[in-house]
Amino acid sequence: MATDRPTFHESWHRVADLRPTLRGAVQIGRQERRGRVWHVVQDPSGHQFFQLGAEGYFFVGLLDGKRRVGEVWALCNQKLGDAAPTQGEVIQLLGQLYAGNLLASDLPPDAQGLFERYRKRVRKEVRGYLLNVLFARIPLWDPNDFLDRWVRVAGWVFTKVGLVLWCLLLAVAGYFLVGRWGQLFAAADPQTMLNPDNLLWLYVAMVLIKAMHELGHGFAAKHFGQLGHTGGDVHTIGIMLLVFVPVPYVDASSAWLLRSRWQRAVVGAAGMYVELAVAAVAAIIWAQTSNTSSSLGTAVHALAYNMMFIAGISTILFNGNPLLRYDGYYILSDLLEIPNLSQRGKDQLHYLVRRWIFGVRQAKEIARSMSERFWLLLYAVTSGIYRVFISIVILWYVADKFFLLGAIFAVVTLVGWLVIPAGKFVHYLLTSPELLRTRGRAVLATAVTLTVIVVGVGLVPVPDRARAEGIVQPVMRSELYMPADGFVDAVLPSGTTVQADDGVLIEAHNPLLTAREKELAARLEEASLRLRAARAKEQAEAQTLEKQVRGLEQQLAQVSAQRASLHVRSPLTGQWIAPDVDRLPGAYVRRGERLGVVADMSNLVVKVITDQTLGPRVAPEVGMDGVVEMRVKGRPDLAWNGRIIRIAPAGQQSLPSAALATVAGGSTPVDLQQRDDVRALEPMFEVQVQPTAATSDRPAVLYPEQRVIVRFSMPPRPLGAQLWRMLRQAIQRRFQVGDLHATPRS
Amino acid sequence: MAIELIHPGNFDQPRSDVLTTQAIARVTPAVSIAHLGAMWRHLGDASGKAAADRKLPKGLDAAWDAGLGAVYAFMPRTRRYLHRAQRIVAISDTLQTVSDARLRQELVELRVAFRLNRQRSSDVDRAMALVRETAQRQLGQRPYPVQVAAALALYDGCLIEMATGEGKTLTATLPAVLAGWRGRGCHVITVNDYLAARDAQNMGPLYRFCNVSVAAIQADMPPVQRRQAYRADITYCTNKEVTADHLRDRLILGRQRGLVAALSAQLAGGDPRVESLVMRGLERAIIDEADSILIDEAVTPLIISGEAPNAELVEAYQQAATLAGDFEAARHYTVNHKYREVRLTNAGRGHLRQRGAAMGGVWAGARRAEELVTQAITARELFLPGKQYVVREGKVVIVDEFTGRLMPDRTWRDGLHQAVEARELLDVTPMKDTLARISFQRFFRSYRTLCGMTGTGREATMELWRVYHLPVAVMPTHRPCIRRHLGTRVFADAASRWGAIVQDVRQMHQHGRPVLIGTRSVAASERLSELLGHEGMPHQVLNAVRHEEEANIIAQAGQRGTITVATNMAGRGTDIRLGRGVAELGGLHVIAAEPNESHRIDRQLFGRAARQGDPGSAILYMSLDDEILRRYAPPLASAALLPRHGAAGGELHRPLLRRIIRWAQARAGRMARGQRAAVLRNDDWLEEFLGFAGAEE
Repeated sequence: MATDRPTFHESWHRVADLRPTLRGAVQIGRQERRGRVWHVVQDPSGHQFFQLGAEGYFFVGLLDGKRRVGEVWALCNQKLGDAAPTQGEVIQLLGQLYAGNLLASDLPPDAQGLFERYRKRVRKEVRGYLLNVLFARIPLWDPNDFLDRWVRVAGWVFTKVGLVLWCLLLAVAGYFLVGRWGQLFAAADPQTMLNPDNLLWLYVAMVLIKAMHELGHGFAAKHFGQLGHTGGDVHTIGIMLLVFVPVPYVDASSAWLLRSRWQRAVVGAAGMYVELAVAAVAAIIWAQTSNTSSSLGTAVHALAYNMMFIAGISTILFNGNPLLRYDGYYILSDLLEIPNLSQRGKDQLHYLVRRWIFGVRQAKEIARSMSERFWLLLYAVTSGIYRVFISIVILWYVADKFFLLGAIFAVVTLVGWLVIPAGKFVHYLLTSPELLRTRGRAVLATAVTLTVIVVGVGLVPVPDRARAEGIVQPVMRSELYMPADGFVDAVLPSGTTVQADDGVLIEAHNPLLTAREKELAARLEEASLRLRAARAKEQAEAQTLEKQVRGLEQQLAQVSAQRASLHVRSPLTGQWIAPDVDRLPGAYVRRGERLGVVADMSNLVVKVITDQTLGPRVAPEVGMDGVVEMRVKGRPDLAWNGRIIRIAPAGQQSLPSAALATVAGGSTPVDLQQRDDVRALEPMFEVQVQPTAATSDRPAVLYPEQRVIVRFSMPPRPLGAQLWRMLRQAIQRRFQVGDLHATPRS
Repeated sequence: MAIELIHPGNFDQPRSDVLTTQAIARVTPAVSIAHLGAMWRHLGDASGKAAADRKLPKGLDAAWDAGLGAVYAFMPRTRRYLHRAQRIVAISDTLQTVSDARLRQELVELRVAFRLNRQRSSDVDRAMALVRETAQRQLGQRPYPVQVAAALALYDGCLIEMATGEGKTLTATLPAVLAGWRGRGCHVITVNDYLAARDAQNMGPLYRFCNVSVAAIQADMPPVQRRQAYRADITYCTNKEVTADHLRDRLILGRQRGLVAALSAQLAGGDPRVESLVMRGLERAIIDEADSILIDEAVTPLIISGEAPNAELVEAYQQAATLAGDFEAARHYTVNHKYREVRLTNAGRGHLRQRGAAMGGVWAGARRAEELVTQAITARELFLPGKQYVVREGKVVIVDEFTGRLMPDRTWRDGLHQAVEARELLDVTPMKDTLARISFQRFFRSYRTLCGMTGTGREATMELWRVYHLPVAVMPTHRPCIRRHLGTRVFADAASRWGAIVQDVRQMHQHGRPVLIGTRSVAASERLSELLGHEGMPHQVLNAVRHEEEANIIAQAGQRGTITVATNMAGRGTDIRLGRGVAELGGLHVIAAEPNESHRIDRQLFGRAARQGDPGSAILYMSLDDEILRRYAPPLASAALLPRHGAAGGELHRPLLRRIIRWAQARAGRMARGQRAAVLRNDDWLEEFLGFAGAEE
């Protein structure tokens, strides 16, 4: 029948005569969420929770072990009318309750079914462990008695008084921290944090803090549970291997029974609440001890510092993040009044796909209201993206530390998150009865989506770009050095355009030279006069004098030239660039000192350093005369186009400019052992680019020795090919496959 | 109590037929030890290994099972069986001179080996040879080598495909005797009571000679006789009866099921319930027409129901029928012919709310009211007299859509039957309460060993493996088949098709050849009958209601000049032997008036002609407005067919059409298969969920 909720069910006869009732030990809590009343039913062993709507609760409430299911159903129909559960819904409800061991029935127990369910659950758990090795849980201890005993002592923490005190504590800590702000981050150097001496302390601190965190949850659950008479049982504390780092966890799910969402949220937040308090205490201790006091003081200081960071930062990063399924998630789901936010978000997403893309008419929407729809979808999408992102980060991190392990996890994660869901999806697509009518459409939609992805990633070429750092250098340039010692009298300001051999860049004088010139001139005159006189008298003497004069003449010319050279002129037309020239006037400058550069600014070249992965691709894929884009490093708003004019045929290790080295702020790692020369660690390929035109709006000029980022546009190729190449390169680089160079870690 | 059979329909829209029987009196005669022993075994099975096996595998297990099936089910085995059959025939030929007494003694000796389950392969061969010889002496029929090979395959638990008329009844006796010797019972499942009684009767001498007792279950048997019949070594029965008996036993046992519960009850001082059981376990079944039982009717659940008089509800159906008169198609509801369902539109719902508010009672609530009205509209729109049902003697009689058979004592479930009754302005029978329910599919999966015979089975190889773990063995015919297949004739509309058929019949009739025309529905058979009557051609009409009479008629259908119009399944299990001189005229001419949803059924019909090396011919007629095309042909193909040749009434010659029919049949088959799988899965799911309510079977 084409009715959404058919009243009758063909298997009704199997339950109609039963007289079941809820087990005595079952606990029920009433909650109001999003304007609807729900009843949360907890099974006696505390592992599972079921929620019943008002109608379901009405039905279950009437099951007293004396009435038959059929009678109760008839009663419900009388009382609730259309809202009464249908036979199918009753069967499902009873089945679920029974599977959760919540139902006592007048029947002999179905032992086989019991074992079957148990086997199934164990299998599911084991599979859960295997597929989730990164987040495995190992239960250790039942803290219920402990909590019972101490909740009177610890419970006040979660009262209003406790909250006020907590705020005060945080305020005090904040006050101290503000005072020592600078030190705070100076000490945060990972070098000191991860100091081997500190490592043990760090770990001890972490375990302590996390244990307190979990006890915080436990006590809160207990406190509010006793307050609301729901018991607040907490039966498991254990260890979770969070990416192999064992951290404690606690099962405080009895908080589900709490009536107020705020109380539930507080139970969820209790861990962070405690941790922040610990962080505050640690901050105060840290601020009050100093690094230089006794050795004990040092240890306490360091420990306090570490605790402050672990308790403060990790709390906010990990636990507070609602996108991971830790405290933040539960708080969010409590506050939104949407339990099972993550699962229901996924289900809602599936519903949307099934209903609107696959056209499954009987698909039931998960969300009950517009706002719930919004939240579910938002959460499903963001947490999905975040989960993928975080797992890639974790995988990358693990793989970086342990290659083999990383590879194994990558495979496990891939299987768990990709292969199995894909397999399930295919199975669903091919065999699900709900697709009976729309299988064609569903398959088509899937195929189209896949095709779009495959074509998009694998076939449609997208721009393929690579960036490299380069340095601007003029093609024609002349470095000017002081030709002779002298006092600088006047300088031409840097930046002035000069013509070749025209005008003076630097005017200097050397009194010694002037004096010497005068002396030489005088001696020459004397010698000349004596020569003239000697010519008249004695030939032989004249000849000696003649030599003398010639020698003096030569000396004079030399000195004069030297003096003249103190008027430094540019050898070529271009711009006079001497950043320090302003401090020269009046100074005594020795010969050979560097004065500045005259460079032909109309003719600049950018020397780009491309690494091994990019360099060899430039020639074949961009080629000579290829157009590139450039931006000034640090000023991305200034852009030029450029043309490749030269591509080095072979690799080199010397850099065109020291400015490109990492030590100078560039991006090329250099060999620090070589004192005299700037040599790159890996061979570089130099590509020379001639700037053609500025492409940015604002007028811009390129200056020599400026660092620029050059973007090469390779021929477009599919995204998949690009990603694949990048992944291979990254793996090669990461795992040093076939490379003996050890990258120095700073 | 009553037995209810739910007819295979759409998964979402199950219709049911109810078969009423008298209430069972509690019977307490002494029960033999042997009977009890078998029963204990049976109870043990029900809770042990068999129950786990009965669930369909899932996930990778399912893939493995399918892979195994692909290898095992398709393994060529026919030739092996034929070789072995040759050896057996050779042994059997040496027995021709042996005296009856000697033969009997050897049979007794072998029987001991089989009873102790210590038979070797050579014993099986020897036993088959002995039975073959016995058959010759007692029945005057000597199984052909092909039949012996088929018997071997059956004994091994295969489903054999044998052409119609090759002697399936005789074939079944060989493995039945061997299974009977085992002493744990062997059910030979036939399609109707008449065949069960007839076969048990006809084959009786053979069985008795072989020292096995035989009995047949009839619908009107009281429980005491039933129990005696089941105590026989071999029991002939219909699938319906055996399933119903199983269910009734289940009801007697109540929720105290399984060996442990029954044993403890027995220890606590003899449980009268155990002693009033009728059956003694499901050991082996040999199913005749296995494809129809295991596939076509597989998801038909059989229901035992009790009366639950509810005058208010009866009135509600009548009101609903009246109310439905107000509803207009398209405005208030939409009809989906493909999936056979009716949906109210929002306007329809509003209309209903308005009307219902005034009426009060059941009508006050929206959900029930909607259900009732939707049902009433469904009854009006989708259930047509002559097609889905006929009215006979003031009662709605369901017509099996698949086979055209009338199902006189079934009703649809969930109030649909009542809705149809209300629509026909008949007395509305009160709805019944379900007491127990099982589908044939699930029931037959409970047998320890299952084997079957069919005329057409290879199309379903994969499904038979998946659901029943039955491999299919295709047996060759004893004599080469010389049936001429005259192909498919396609017409633009039904009228021209009927015209052509009548013409065809006349032509054949003039030559004196007997003609058998298979129709899909009772309405169609009646229409054709009318046309033939108009033309003054004498003919017989069968719609599979009175099996015995029809068996006689169909047995005569091979006589010179007879014309027989039958729904597909009419007179099944009975050979059409050619009359004198008919073979020279060309044998029986079979006309399929309309393609069926499954090519298998078409083949079954064609198989009626040219049996055992006789001449014969077969032809398929179809028109573009046939249901199979309307429901299953791809929309594009239908569009391509639209530009019909010339004016209406013409015959179309397009090779593409035949492809489309096959395509539509394949699609119909796929959908039906999907539905069956879904039902099975749904059953598994329910089993899991309803574990607390005790096992169903």
